[in-house]
Amino acid sequence: MVKTSKKFPGVEWIEGAGDFIKIDKEKCNGCANCINVCLAGCFEIVDKKAKIKTLEECMECASCWYICPEDAIKFFWPSGGTGYKSEWG
Amino acid sequence: MEEEYDIIVIGAGFGGSVAAKLSADAGLKTSIFERSKNVGDKVISGLTIPFYGFLFGPYFIRDGNPPFERPSDGVENYIFNDLEKGDIIIDDSLKVPKPLSPIIAFGYNTYCKPFCQWQAQKAIEAGAELYTSTTITDFIKEDGYIKGVVTDEGKEIRGKLIINAEGSQGLLAIKAGMREKYPPEAISLADTYDYIMPKEEVDKIFGFSEKFCWGWDEQKAAPPLGHGNGLMVWPYRNSLHFMQDQCLRVNQKVPNLKKLFDLYHHNITSKWPFWKQLAPRIKLRARMWENFEIYVGLNKKLHKNPMETNGMILIGDVAGLESTELCDGVPAAWFSAEAAAEVAIDAIKADDVSKEFLKKYETTIRNHPIIKWSISGRNRYNLRFAQEEHDLKILKKYIHNGWGLGALSSFTSPFLQILLPYLNKDPTIISKWIKMYFRYFQNWLHKSYDFYQKRVNKISSSKKIRNKERKFLRWMRVINVGMRAFRKMKKILKPFMIPLSHSLNTFLKGFLPIFESIYFALLKLTQPIRAKMGNKLIDFVDKANPSIFEIQNEG
Repeated sequence: MVKTSKKFPGVEWIEGAGDFIKIDKEKCNGCANCINVCLAGCFEIVDKKAKIKTLEECMECASCWYICPEDAIKFFWPSGGTGYKSEWG
Repeated sequence: MEEEYDIIVIGAGFGGSVAAKLSADAGLKTSIFERSKNVGDKVISGLTIPFYGFLFGPYFIRDGNPPFERPSDGVENYIFNDLEKGDIIIDDSLKVPKPLSPIIAFGYNTYCKPFCQWQAQKAIEAGAELYTSTTITDFIKEDGYIKGVVTDEGKEIRGKLIINAEGSQGLLAIKAGMREKYPPEAISLADTYDYIMPKEEVDKIFGFSEKFCWGWDEQKAAPPLGHGNGLMVWPYRNSLHFMQDQCLRVNQKVPNLKKLFDLYHHNITSKWPFWKQLAPRIKLRARMWENFEIYVGLNKKLHKNPMETNGMILIGDVAGLESTELCDGVPAAWFSAEAAAEVAIDAIKADDVSKEFLKKYETTIRNHPIIKWSISGRNRYNLRFAQEEHDLKILKKYIHNGWGLGALSSFTSPFLQILLPYLNKDPTIISKWIKMYFRYFQNWLHKSYDFYQKRVNKISSSKKIRNKERKFLRWMRVINVGMRAFRKMKKILKPFMIPLSHSLNTFLKGFLPIFESIYFALLKLTQPIRAKMGNKLIDFVDKANPSIFEIQNEG
């Protein structure tokens, strides 16, 4: 199954990507850096900790992983053949 | 897939497929593993591949028919001193003048996907096996050596040598203990928009030049100066690529990029007079983004990261080879892929994939004149100092030296240093380059590329064109004879040429102001005749038999 987004035209997401971004709640200090750099709006703060809202529009740029000062974000590529794709990159 | 490969390439981007193709060419059993469903699905860039990538890159790209969106005849810099008041300064000194432009182009704009697919197809034709939809998650490690890869399905695939072309994040290189995560100051997030625009409108409004936008930070019309690539617009065949990018952390602070990118985009599209011209003619087709390692070459510690370990070589972005000046990683990906394949072939032959043996690769990269230049250029980085002092003169100077004619004073020496060994190795190289430019342009005019629509060799019905074809081929022969003679004189010239190539940058720094004024005066004086010659040249390339631009074995 392939999903599209009204906000980000020209991009498709192939289902089955799984939880390729994970947050270690123990390590998270609630700084919200991940929210600031994520253009897809994948994150939210709940109880002073970052939480993944949805990865449905994630373009796998890894900005959240780069910017986390506590190394609380674990990022790895989604399973082969899943996740975002575009003809226009 | 169970058997052992000589070479396993991770990633079918710009570097990976080149390494695979060249390894397979040499008869090595080669495989490529790509995580996306189709090659190029996940590659994003606003992309001009500059000429030096084609001239000094892999032979099969230079002599082939890869897909292009549009030749680029250089850069037009828009400097927003005060965008509200329309105080905009233009530096277009790096534009290639006619009659050369747009045939002898500064570079070629292309979508990443068709180009990467073209390269992958070449690798497959050479015998490499391509496995898409396969994410490599780990390595097989034995006795301090990487001996293969593990896929996301848990399959273990053994390979004598891994060429890692996974991209800038370097998740696997980090796993292998070769380097750490790059700091957010060195990473730029590129927010990219793709717009449809009718070809005749692109031809009329853009021609062949790309637009770079620079402006004081407080205008919020573009990302902060010197903390990222900036803002640029590329003309494609019948579309535009718009990219704004900046570092993830600026002056110890993490900006709200979601808000800022929307703000830059809003301001530029509503206040830049040039964009107002575009607005009624374009339609948004796609928006996407990706990170790249913009300033790794300028960071002393990161710059020293090893590029090889026992059983593995890193190429392209994962090795931190993105250009700090032009922000184009493709030429370095190609150069490093070639160098990696060369060392890989030797290593397999010698049955030695130790890091000591593979060090040869790193030595080649560290001494490569163009890579050295491209990952150490400071003009872009220095723009932050122009902002700090808010000095327009300094801003103009860095822009002129980075993306204007001033770039000659940093590029000329490395260009000559790589040019001379090329001429020495293959005296027919100049004619190959000329044919490349003509063939690329003809392909662009007729929208013909390998695997898409190849041009049919056909004798022209026009006697005039046939005469010109004969003349063209005669000139190519004359050039080849001349270059062979030059090669014979090499020993006599060597004492002069090498110091000359080393000192030209320094010389040009002093001489450029005089040179530039003569150059511009000459351009103005010769404008009508150059335009006429340019049109004649385009007409010839349009109508000539494609076979005359093909590369035969010319010894």
